[in-house]
Amino acid sequence: MAPSQAGYAPSLDKLLKSLKNHPLEASIDALIFLLTRRQVHGDDCAIATAHILLQVVARSKWNDVDQLLARVQKAGSRLVYAAPDEPVIGNIVRRVLGLIRDEASEERNADDLSESASDIQTLTTSSSPPPRPPPLVRSTTAGGSMSVSKSMFNLLSVADPADLPTGASTPVSQAQPASIQALRSEVIDGIEEIMDEISQADDQIASFAEIQINPGDYVLVYRPSKTVEKFLVKAASKRRFTVFIAGLEPHKKQGAEAPYAALRKKLNAAGVNTVNLASNGLTAYMARVSKVVISAKAVYQNGGLLVDSGSCIAVQAAEAYSKPVIVLCGVYKFCPQDPSEELSWGGVKGNSSAEVSYAEGAEVDELEVENTVTDYVRPEHVDIYLTNLGPQTLHHFAGILADHYKPEEMLLSLQLGEA
Amino acid sequence: MSVKQGPKGGAAAGKSKKMATPGAQEKREDVLQAVILADSFQDRFRPFSLAKPRCLLPIANVPAIEYTLEFLAANGVQEVFIYCGAHSEAIETYVHDSQRYSSRSIINPFSSIEFIRVSDATSVGDFLRDLDKRGLIGGDFILVHGDLVANIELDGALAKHRARREANRDACMTMVLLQVPQEHRALKSRVITPEFIIEPSTGRCLQYEERHPLQSDHYTVLDPALFKYPEFEIHEDLIDCGIDICTPEVLALWSESFDYELPRKNFLHGVLKDWELNGKLIYTEIMETGYAVRANSLAMYECVSRDVLGRWTFPYVPETNFVHGMSYKRVRDGSRLEDGVSISREAKVTGSVIGRSTEVGVGATISRSVIGSRCKIGKNVRIENSYIWDDTVIGDDSWVIRSILAESVEIGKDCRIPEGSLISYKVRIGDGQLLPPNPAPRLSLLQHDGSLAETDSSIVGQGGAGALYEGPIEEDDDESEDGDGTDPAALQNSLIFSLAHLNLSASSISTLASHDEFDSDHEESESRLLRPDSSGASRSRLSSFASDDSAAASSLDAFHSDAVHGLVDALRADDSVDFDSAKLEFMGLRLANNASDSSMRRAIAVAFVRRSSELLGAENGGLEPTKAAEEAFTSKRGAVRFIKEVGVGGDDTSRQSEFALALQKALLAVKGLEATRAGALLAAMLQQLYSLDVLEEEGILAWWGDKRAAENDSLAKIKEKCRVLVEWLENADEEESDEEDSD
Repeated sequence: MAPSQAGYAPSLDKLLKSLKNHPLEASIDALIFLLTRRQVHGDDCAIATAHILLQVVARSKWNDVDQLLARVQKAGSRLVYAAPDEPVIGNIVRRVLGLIRDEASEERNADDLSESASDIQTLTTSSSPPPRPPPLVRSTTAGGSMSVSKSMFNLLSVADPADLPTGASTPVSQAQPASIQALRSEVIDGIEEIMDEISQADDQIASFAEIQINPGDYVLVYRPSKTVEKFLVKAASKRRFTVFIAGLEPHKKQGAEAPYAALRKKLNAAGVNTVNLASNGLTAYMARVSKVVISAKAVYQNGGLLVDSGSCIAVQAAEAYSKPVIVLCGVYKFCPQDPSEELSWGGVKGNSSAEVSYAEGAEVDELEVENTVTDYVRPEHVDIYLTNLGPQTLHHFAGILADHYKPEEMLLSLQLGEA
Repeated sequence: MSVKQGPKGGAAAGKSKKMATPGAQEKREDVLQAVILADSFQDRFRPFSLAKPRCLLPIANVPAIEYTLEFLAANGVQEVFIYCGAHSEAIETYVHDSQRYSSRSIINPFSSIEFIRVSDATSVGDFLRDLDKRGLIGGDFILVHGDLVANIELDGALAKHRARREANRDACMTMVLLQVPQEHRALKSRVITPEFIIEPSTGRCLQYEERHPLQSDHYTVLDPALFKYPEFEIHEDLIDCGIDICTPEVLALWSESFDYELPRKNFLHGVLKDWELNGKLIYTEIMETGYAVRANSLAMYECVSRDVLGRWTFPYVPETNFVHGMSYKRVRDGSRLEDGVSISREAKVTGSVIGRSTEVGVGATISRSVIGSRCKIGKNVRIENSYIWDDTVIGDDSWVIRSILAESVEIGKDCRIPEGSLISYKVRIGDGQLLPPNPAPRLSLLQHDGSLAETDSSIVGQGGAGALYEGPIEEDDDESEDGDGTDPAALQNSLIFSLAHLNLSASSISTLASHDEFDSDHEESESRLLRPDSSGASRSRLSSFASDDSAAASSLDAFHSDAVHGLVDALRADDSVDFDSAKLEFMGLRLANNASDSSMRRAIAVAFVRRSSELLGAENGGLEPTKAAEEAFTSKRGAVRFIKEVGVGGDDTSRQSEFALALQKALLAVKGLEATRAGALLAAMLQQLYSLDVLEEEGILAWWGDKRAAENDSLAKIKEKCRVLVEWLENADEEESDEEDSD
């Protein structure tokens, strides 16, 4: 009875729970439709993509590396196509493709599994100067996925037959050469690493909060995302400062909780004052603000940002007052390409009724409503990119990208449509 | 309160309800089921729906049913039942062949899609009664129509529905409605205005009525029982998207009333009216955000298409490519183009959607239109606000303004397609053809019965194919409830909703003109309810009358119909010449119902008018009006006295003129009687009554002078016929006075 109380609408959680019971194609398609309907959006896209690609690696039939690459690329480009305003999907696909290439070359060169595994370790965490802090909060999705993929690994590997439940092994998997099996498990491990990275990124970014926020600061945030919320809460545990929350939705539903009430409660409990700024009042406060903190949906090769629409105003106001802008973004959001042409003339348009209600009457007839979902922020407006690897500047970008993507994938265009 | 308050609530009331085993029911609780009604038994989309069912007509190049299925999938529906009527094979083929929904498909979001055909179904009601018999429905289900476009989330409504149902087993249905202001385009495009009377604190729907512009009474009669509620709201500003969350008891209710046809007009209205008997509660869920509109007429088709173009239906818009195989991309000026579209450099395309492999020629301007796949648009073509389906060819220099062009239409060079044109499949229009703008042409290759129409080259020109499409002539229109000869459906056949050509009288808020009222309403409360000057204030005023009115209202309807039937039967009877028993019966009815003088007068007038107009008819000998009037009044002994004593009820002039007025209005309500003939009959009847000393000349002259006797065209027409009689009376009067003078 409990699940039916939660509602019938499909969601990412439901999809992840049902991954095992459904055919691979059905799962891919289910995610595509979740993306199309925007039932999965924002930061969830990355983890969802990783889950699905893990399924592709673990469950699709492939006999050599090229086949695997083709399958991942096909599934990946369909996902990218379903949500063109979420470049992070493309990043994950590229990372996985790069991972497969790496593993394949490792396989050819050396058979020592442990060595290649440690290589992945160094690859994914790359040359990070600050030591990775232990994960403070394990998000539930990550935990769940770990166990799922673990059992998947067991199911398909012949290396560990003792653990296998009887009858679970299929003739196909036994017929495959051992090197394929090894590659499969290596890639799965690698994808799990990526998932860990994604789920821990927010906590790692938050761990730098006390360095970035000084006592007595006035911090302006624009429609804070989960990343920003974690960052503020972490900072509040160490510092005393004031938070301006800008960009509140103009239409407040009756009976709904005040916007960001949970965040404000947490901050107030820690002794940090919060001020809600109504819609566009933020420019008036900019003189008082000491820094602006926003989170990005994606960071392009040139340092430009893809942000949720509206943040652009905060950034431009900060520029006008010469206030520093700190962008919070996990490394997995770094795109090895330049912003698309579409972005330069407004980007993907969303639901018109988000801005003007369909029930508005005459306006519906008279107005052409274009609801811009995303904004593009130019690189010169950003001062610090705070990643899970620590604060970065534009100069480090080439290095970071080179660490995370193979040249083949950096040039790869995933906007192929359905193959 | 309710008689049937057993442990199983209303379920026990359903005769054919099969009780599933408890285990099966529990298992099904978690599975959300939906029923799509893919046929609505209307012909509003003709001539397009002759070849294709409504739910396969493309809205922004996507068949309507895709929107419906996608809406259900997005809300987590697992099992879908589709009821098909006309063109059921086409719908089944479409779904079976679709990559996503076919039964073999592993990517099907539904665990099952089942088609149900009912061979002898003639209405939605037949579908639902059939569904009840099959016992397929285990728990709550969603009932939608196949022409729904919606992006709302139902989780909230479903949870509320479940909570209500758990609190009270009789809460059987929740209707999802969208609130918009009066001037909204989705409201302006509809013909029938639904009126929901809702208790605001609970959302319970208390009464449901429908209005349309062709009816002569521009008001709604409220159920007096409403005034027992502390507050209620009357909503005309709701878009009824036809999404109902139902419990299986709803199906049982349908089965109980075998004559219900429409889910709103019959079912909802009926169940709410009889709620004291059935005890069922129906709730509304009013959404303030989101989109849910049915494309249930051509005007609504246009409205929905524009909403898709304007992204109100997001994410179900072309650029999200929510159907397999779509490949739309947004381009700079707000248009959405699919792969392979070639637009020549000089062409201007703004705010439009263009399907795969369409070619647009040099100098063409296309704005706010939808163009299907593989179309060829010639040079310098102008297309505005139009919906052009696949494979259409439009020749150079032609104009298409606000029209619908179906698949494979060919328009020659230099043609003009004016506003509101509907051009059906494969029609060809020759070069240089200017279609007449008024009335907007409807062209088709097929006639309404599906046979090929003869090409009318005066319309389609040299080398053309097709003819003006004419709807079937409705012979049994008289039987329909919408009485006065004009069916609102006629308004829904055109793309542009307009009342301009209909010459409706706007001032008729207080008329008694229609047969509707004469049959079913009652003057008493009506005259109190709505005076023309104070319709706004009447609501509050009414509440004070509520207590004494409540009992009378329902019984008066019954009184009227019973009394009229009794009297007409007595007048018809061949075997008896005595009217006394009928009189006795009438008086008994009157006492039982506490009927007022005016309602008696009305009943008597209606009865005699019916009888005399019957006598005019061929099957009764086709008498002349004078003969008919004489026969009606004098064939039965005592009838005249009865009219004089009961019908008129006295000698004073005002009562006599009232009776004459009642006769006149009753004549207006007689079906199939043209105005001139009705006028002749009225004159004959008045003369007969005059000579029988029932009416005196003062009475008739007072009626003649009464403004109410000529307050609309048809009444005036009837009245005009009596001029001779009145002049004669006036002369007689003068002569009389002359004589008196000379004495």
